[in-house]
Amino acid sequence: MTPYAPVAIFVAVAFAAALGFSLLPGVLAQRKPNPEKEQAYECGVEPTSSVAGRFPVKFYLIAMLFVVLDVEAASFYPWAVEMHALRVFGLIEMAVFVVVLAIGYAYVWKRKGFEWR
Amino acid sequence: MIANPYTQADWNAVIPLFIVGGAALIVLLADLVSPKYANRYVSMAIGILGLIGGGVYAGTTYGVSHNAFGGGFILGGFAVVLQEVIVISAIFSIALFGAIGRGDRIAGSVALMLWSTAGAMLMAGAANLMTIFLGLELLSLGLYCLCGLADRPTSRESALKYLILSSTASGFLLFGMALLFGATGSVTLAALTTPAVAVNPLYWLGGGLFLVGLAFKLSLVPFHVWSPDVYEGAPLPVTAFMSVVTKAGTLAVFARFAYAAIPAHASNALLIPFFIIAGISMIAGNLGMLAQTDMKRLLAYSGIAQIGYIVASLAGGTDQGVRYAIYYLVAYMFMNLGAFAIVALLSTDKEEGSSIASFHGLAQRRPVLAAVMTFFLLALAGFPPTAGFLGKILILSTNVSAGFPWLAALLIAGTAISLYAYFKVIRLMYDRHAKPQALPSVQAPLAYVSMAVCVILVVVMTFYPYTPSNVLPLVK
Repeated sequence: MTPYAPVAIFVAVAFAAALGFSLLPGVLAQRKPNPEKEQAYECGVEPTSSVAGRFPVKFYLIAMLFVVLDVEAASFYPWAVEMHALRVFGLIEMAVFVVVLAIGYAYVWKRKGFEWR
Repeated sequence: MIANPYTQADWNAVIPLFIVGGAALIVLLADLVSPKYANRYVSMAIGILGLIGGGVYAGTTYGVSHNAFGGGFILGGFAVVLQEVIVISAIFSIALFGAIGRGDRIAGSVALMLWSTAGAMLMAGAANLMTIFLGLELLSLGLYCLCGLADRPTSRESALKYLILSSTASGFLLFGMALLFGATGSVTLAALTTPAVAVNPLYWLGGGLFLVGLAFKLSLVPFHVWSPDVYEGAPLPVTAFMSVVTKAGTLAVFARFAYAAIPAHASNALLIPFFIIAGISMIAGNLGMLAQTDMKRLLAYSGIAQIGYIVASLAGGTDQGVRYAIYYLVAYMFMNLGAFAIVALLSTDKEEGSSIASFHGLAQRRPVLAAVMTFFLLALAGFPPTAGFLGKILILSTNVSAGFPWLAALLIAGTAISLYAYFKVIRLMYDRHAKPQALPSVQAPLAYVSMAVCVILVVVMTFYPYTPSNVLPLVK
């Protein structure tokens, strides 16, 4: 198990550091509270309403379509980096991927998935 | 410069998957241009044609033996036979969409079903841990959506239950795979047979978790509780599809693992618990059938017991065992899909005719359907002259000769219990004092066709019990 010893030390140090940083201020710091300090935000905007509000369900579809687009974009990066090495094989693979995705979007578009209803 | 590591033969091995997956894309495109009154039949026709294309191409590779993608996908007799089982049951399931489901959802349903089929076909040939998981997820992801596509609360319950429980099982499977990889340093099943790994505790833990994941997907007791609920809520064609395709795909993975990925001296210790739960499934599945009031739930419990028989056939790792398992799997496919076709024929626009009450007095309203349903139930129970009878005899013989007489005893006990459950339905169908019910409007000529084909094949299989001879070795 010796190859894993550095990993174990790393994990132990990380835990100890995180624990220390969160516990030590409570012990060492001086407390002089005033109303300004007690506010939720020291900078930025005051919250205007509860965060646990309700969202219209139509955002769900948009979010899903966005995730698909996002994952698609993310999978372009490795291809772009290795494009010259993969040559025609990579190009064909990517073309197949984009065509499959495009058919999916064409279906969603025609079935009025992009309309705000 | 990365050289292309794959040869033309590698790609040829997965062409059937591409045909089936490509057909799903064509189904979606055709749905956008076809007129509204025809889109149901356009989707079904393209789906079935794609499956036939994939099945025929897979059939032409029957004699070929090839280790594609560096051992990731093994083409050979076993993979091809399992792929044919998967393709045929997908065809029969899509045929049931003729009567069931909202017209505007058929294209999406057929497309998802085709992708799931492609996943199961990948599992049929998968021989390394990565392709196994890829196939399994491709199969499951489509099914999560398909389960929820009926307009009733039980359907949503079914989808959610399947999503949560099946993902948990995938987690077990994946964790087991990670530990197996940790123990051996290789993802190919062939590398798992090195005798040295059996002393590594990681190997035992990994193998155990892997088998738990498979037992869940096969719905063996005690990992079966999801299947009646999921089957009940899902649309009928999806239930029919799940009852055969998921089991065939997972069975292929299990057979490959049990036959070719375990060091010889570790095989018994790792697999006997699995065969014990298969034996318990035979009893518990058949007992569970007794209390059911819904045909889909009844067939779900029946499936739990039947898959127990099939897994039991693999005990001992004999050549016979895997051939008889395939025989019984094919018989189970036709018996089960035939029964589902009859449920489809009793369905209306609004309601699937799956409650046992809709079978009450069926012999007066629909004498032919009642007779055929009786035939399928007797076949499932294992009466001669049906393939169910011969299949059970073959499994009994292989169990006894492989040194597992207790599995044979459990099979007999389970069959005895199941007789009562099947006869309860038969008695209801032939009840003379049943109140007359309205006849559902029949709009499913295809379901009649698949019913007739299933009857003929269940009988023919009995008299021509062909089992494929070139299935072993499962891993090269």
